[in-house]
Amino acid sequence: MRSKLLYSMIVALCLTLIAGMSWAGETVKISAQQPITGRFAFAGKHIHQGLADSLAYANEQGGIGGQKIEYIYDDTGYDLKRAVAAFKKVMAKESPVMNYGESTGEGKALAPEINNSYKIVYGSTSFSEELADRSKNPYMFVSGPTYAQQFGILLKYIAANPKTKGKKATVAFFYSDTEFGRDPIPYAREMAKKLGVEVVAEEITKVGAVDISSQILDLKRHNPDYCIFQGYVVPPIPAVIQGARDFGLKTTFMGTFWAMTKMLLGKLGPDGDGYMGVTPYAYWQQSDVPMIKAIQEYGKKHHPDVTYRPQSYMQGWFTGMVFVKLAKMCKEKGLPITGPNLKDMIPQVKDWDTGNFAGKISFKDSNATGVGKVYVAKGGDFVPASDWIYLH
Amino acid sequence: MRIGDFKESYATDEAVFTTSTSRFWLGVLFLILALFPFMVGDYLLYMANITGIAIVAALGLNILTGAAGQISLGHAAFVGIGAYTSAILSNRFGMPFLICLPLAGLASAFFGVLVGAPSMRMKGLYLCITTLAAQVIFEFFFVHWESLTGGIRGLNIAPAKIFGLNIGTEFGFYWVTLTVVIIAATVSRNIFRTRVGRAFIAIRDRDISAELMGINLFRYKLYAFAVSSFLAGIAGCLWVNHLKSITPEHFPLHESIRFLAMIIVGGLGNILGAIYGAIFMTLIPEILQAILKFFEEIFPQAMSFLFPLQTVVFGFLIVVFLVFEPHGLAEMWVRVKSYFRLWPFKH
Repeated sequence: MRSKLLYSMIVALCLTLIAGMSWAGETVKISAQQPITGRFAFAGKHIHQGLADSLAYANEQGGIGGQKIEYIYDDTGYDLKRAVAAFKKVMAKESPVMNYGESTGEGKALAPEINNSYKIVYGSTSFSEELADRSKNPYMFVSGPTYAQQFGILLKYIAANPKTKGKKATVAFFYSDTEFGRDPIPYAREMAKKLGVEVVAEEITKVGAVDISSQILDLKRHNPDYCIFQGYVVPPIPAVIQGARDFGLKTTFMGTFWAMTKMLLGKLGPDGDGYMGVTPYAYWQQSDVPMIKAIQEYGKKHHPDVTYRPQSYMQGWFTGMVFVKLAKMCKEKGLPITGPNLKDMIPQVKDWDTGNFAGKISFKDSNATGVGKVYVAKGGDFVPASDWIYLH
Repeated sequence: MRIGDFKESYATDEAVFTTSTSRFWLGVLFLILALFPFMVGDYLLYMANITGIAIVAALGLNILTGAAGQISLGHAAFVGIGAYTSAILSNRFGMPFLICLPLAGLASAFFGVLVGAPSMRMKGLYLCITTLAAQVIFEFFFVHWESLTGGIRGLNIAPAKIFGLNIGTEFGFYWVTLTVVIIAATVSRNIFRTRVGRAFIAIRDRDISAELMGINLFRYKLYAFAVSSFLAGIAGCLWVNHLKSITPEHFPLHESIRFLAMIIVGGLGNILGAIYGAIFMTLIPEILQAILKFFEEIFPQAMSFLFPLQTVVFGFLIVVFLVFEPHGLAEMWVRVKSYFRLWPFKH
């Protein structure tokens, strides 16, 4: 009698284990450490929502060949220690195959362990050059062009559109004294030389600087055709543009991804018209883009009170698209969806048409897309000023 | 119940742990600490490691601020100096971890003495501002001395080894952290029993009367700076070998303030206080997060309001502790212990 009970218990245990295993095999786990609170929350909560919605949308469309995606996230408060802790926790508990990190810092801190022991695909909010270096970090990718590539795209645009025909265009770089600000500058200098654009000034400030009069005076002295901001989200951009206008400068001001928000245009007010910049994703109001249409419809269905989604949301959404794409490629090739297999798919993404949402995506020489579009502000909204500009 | 505490010899008089009960519980603690890594996963080991590193740094600041009464707002910069020294020594000269560790401490101690030098003429808020200046200046060097520090991108280092054993994993590193914490706590505890430690306390309590007693204020203040930054440097070396990368953004001013908060919440001038404070400040955000995650399953919609509340709750907890127990967590522990000493007899 006792042995019968023991047998049935063992059988029951085995059955539960098998059921658990097959259930675990059904979902593709994607984790994220998101700065939902803290000083990066203004973007973090949208990136989180974008990624969550993108994966839920993919599930509605049938998942990865019938396999559902599970999204697991943690809040980090934009604190490196908490982000690393959250990553280790989720790896121990859920062992996801893809992960989305909160910052350049987290990516750098985890890079050795991801390459050597965890071996999972890693995307992040960062557009840093270092994380897109395939030879060093084959598991990491950047969901768009790196900051350097964004500068490359803007400089290409500038070279093609000089203010006075037949004369070299001149440009100034205006950046903050942080990793975020300095990251693309060496590459930008080189690129400008190659394209025949003259860099006439470089202004460096502290992040969120208040007194920028000496920098504006310097800009006045050099009077560049274009001035590109890097490393700021809002301040001191409005003050610089206002100051330049007060001095009668005709300079066109430009920004990269984080300085291409409606929030900034709101702060700029009437000075905003003519402000330009590069961004890798289409804007919410471009409803002629099929993916934007899908996002709006998804929003209507699940978040009926939402009337606008910023670019950080699009970044999350696009990262979700990349995750799903990689998993689908694995599935099509008949490979199991594991970190190393997913990593091998990254260089194989070639001319992937995102339906005008982010251009045609290829991860060619580096794990960054190298494509973006230049937009110009008109009446409080951004409208396209160029077609997709490809760097490679 | 504790009885038989007669102190019949000099040895028993000088002992730190005077009764067999406390020695027994200390043994239990060590046993748990030794078994801990075999029972838990990478996540808890990671938490243990960063807590350990925070403890070493907090013990350092506790000597300077808690014992000698010199407020420092530059402690994170000294941790940074240790971290950079260790990274540079191991990257450029291939020095092993065990040599980097004391050298990182010494480098930090050297700069600590330099920063402490103005304490000859200044005290209180003025000295506080000097250390703030040190924080800003060292941060500036971390960012701009690119050939040495790797600038804003920082440095990456290879996983460390001790006698060929890899300590690059959380498990391996746990033993290093644990050993260093035990040594640091023992050294700190014993410093307070020496002439130097008593001089620190005399300076803190009333510097003029300390000087009248024949204590050379300047020399002892410099000692305090040196010992404190030595421990900070050790913590920095652990930090960089644990994370395997550093950037200047790892050592901002608010990190210095966090160290101050640790020793204040734990109990100023108290070894156990520094330890409790470091544990509290490192673990509470994680615990709050776990509680919120639990509630998320019940109220998924409320999360957008609850997440930002974490910071508020954290701040509120600190205020509550300070109002109801200004002597910190260490004092609360003493009260709990003394309640149970006679338990279940009330008097």
